[in-house]
Amino acid sequence: MTEDATKNEPSPNQPKLNQIVSAIESHVGQDALIDHYINKLSKDVPTIVANPNTYYSIAKLLRYDEQLNFAYLSELHGTDFETHMEIYVHLHSFNMNQSVALKVKLDRAAPVIPSLVPLWPGANWPECEAYDLLGIDFREHPDLKRILLGDDWKGYPLRKDYQPYDVEV
Amino acid sequence: MLRTEEMLLNVGPQHPSTHGVFRLVIKIDGEIIKEATPVIGYLHRGTEKLAENLQYTQIIPYTDRLDYLAAMTNNYVLCHAVETMMAIEVPDRAEYLRVIAMELGRVASHLVWWGTYLLDIGATSPFLYAFREREMIVNLLTELSGARLTFNYMRVGGVKWDAPEGWIEKVAEFVPYMREQLAGYHELVTGNEIFVNRVKGVGIYTKEEALQYSLSGANLRCTGVKWDLRKNEPYSIYDRFTFDVPTREEGDAFSRYHCRMEEIEESLKILEQAVVQFPEGPILAKVPKIIKVPKGEAFVRIESPRGEIGCYIASEGKKEPYRLKFRRPSFYNLQILPKLLEGENMANLITILGAIDIVLGEVDG
Amino acid sequence: MLGLAKGLSYTLKNLTRKKVTYDYPNEPLPLPDRFRGIQKFYPEKCIVCNQCVTICPTDCIQLTGKKHPDPSKKGKIIDTYDINFEICILCDLCTEVCPTEAIVMTNQFELAEYSRDHLFKNLEWLDENDENIRKVNKV
Repeated sequence: MTEDATKNEPSPNQPKLNQIVSAIESHVGQDALIDHYINKLSKDVPTIVANPNTYYSIAKLLRYDEQLNFAYLSELHGTDFETHMEIYVHLHSFNMNQSVALKVKLDRAAPVIPSLVPLWPGANWPECEAYDLLGIDFREHPDLKRILLGDDWKGYPLRKDYQPYDVEV
Repeated sequence: MLRTEEMLLNVGPQHPSTHGVFRLVIKIDGEIIKEATPVIGYLHRGTEKLAENLQYTQIIPYTDRLDYLAAMTNNYVLCHAVETMMAIEVPDRAEYLRVIAMELGRVASHLVWWGTYLLDIGATSPFLYAFREREMIVNLLTELSGARLTFNYMRVGGVKWDAPEGWIEKVAEFVPYMREQLAGYHELVTGNEIFVNRVKGVGIYTKEEALQYSLSGANLRCTGVKWDLRKNEPYSIYDRFTFDVPTREEGDAFSRYHCRMEEIEESLKILEQAVVQFPEGPILAKVPKIIKVPKGEAFVRIESPRGEIGCYIASEGKKEPYRLKFRRPSFYNLQILPKLLEGENMANLITILGAIDIVLGEVDG
Repeated sequence: MLGLAKGLSYTLKNLTRKKVTYDYPNEPLPLPDRFRGIQKFYPEKCIVCNQCVTICPTDCIQLTGKKHPDPSKKGKIIDTYDINFEICILCDLCTEVCPTEAIVMTNQFELAEYSRDHLFKNLEWLDENDENIRKVNKV
């Protein structure tokens, strides 16, 4: 996708991506981001890929920086990509009238990441859902529980290697 | 000496006011709620897991079963995500049919909310009036798609059926009829002192709280945030219609009531314009028989009657999605409930829960 | 008090309106042609292409074919055709992909049974189910 963005003409959202990236690099650090690009498949949404250890600081900056001010968490979910786990967070800023996709890649064997609930209380249930279905551990989450399946469920159904034990329905 | 004791009470999972299988464990001290814990998942069917083994066309009937009161928007969000990734131009006539179907669905959904909400707080007859009008919409949509609720109407690149003969005229006739009924509803309910006393100033939250808790739809607009994806991130052909985004400032249950009632009017405005502009032409774009989405990922969001419904697709270029995720507005909207209920009177529980307007099929996915 | 009086006048106005209820089940419900009820199957039209089985999102259709009894003719004819109505969701995709319209929808929606076994519909049942068959199946 990075090649696509450079091959074709620049997206109208490129300046906004640059603004976000430079804000992150100056406040969080030069190597805070692993990658950043415009996702042409997804209505040109600026996409940034964070390091697991800078993920929370980047989110905090996006939330509280006066220019950026991504006050609205639109969506949070995880995906099992077999090589790694991924969290996808879709944020929206009414200030900039712009959305941004924040992604972070996690170790599949031990997926641990700070919770975003202190920044956006609306991340509470979506994080529970990601924990329930994928087994991602959100640190500092106020009440991480199996929200959909129930406490006695074994395994994480949305993992690609999940074996359904209840074959007959 | 009067002594009170804390009591644990289960509301649901089967209780008429929860509109489905939703359980609320509440701690009460006398009439005052100390703590409320929602328990969900009774209707979890694993749509996202099932979708990983299904072709895109096969997933559409499953989306009908998420928000079953407004299935057209669910159909649309999936098709829209696939179309966005494949860069498919949808023919005009198909888009008009989709918008008409979606807006009819929005009116029907709000009517169900209106009727059941008033039923919850003790008024029986509005329910019957609301269902009288909703039945007309359901009949229109049955004529179009062949089913009353689970439409399975939209396809990637267009719609399944063209409008039957005389159908557009019927929609055009329905608009003024519905307007007249809506005026009647206001006469019956909106000015009713008992009703106003029940809902005014109940379940208040601020604009900041609404944004923090990721509320959307009327739940967000009732606090004064003018945010409607049909206007702010126009998709489909919504930029061709003139309509308003109704907002209120108070953030209580009554303001949510007003927002939804006015949204019905705005939907009628869109319908009115759509039937006039309704063009001729094909109803399905040229799409390959086996739909394969290019490798990559996309997240799209649109405005459903309950708020912001989104669809995320991660694709490996195969005919099935690698990962499909729905952002279900009811799931997000319900999060604020424990906070709203704390310290409230028992009698307000139903008023507050009802005003959020949840559909359990959507909450549980 | 004014609001209550207004509401009451609306109620009184509605007393004289035409009834909108259906007299079901004494009278059958009027349903549009496109309505989706249980399928009708034409064994003679089926070419055993298996497309309905592939498209079914709930895997509720099972079929087997056999060689054409007339050796001069190529292709297969249908041998068994079963729909499991415990899990069919009436999504209409099987009739959409059928190239010969061998399987079509009917208006028959009264499907309650005393036993689950009766929900298993075989070729004979589906062939005999020929009331209110949908007239237009393709756009």
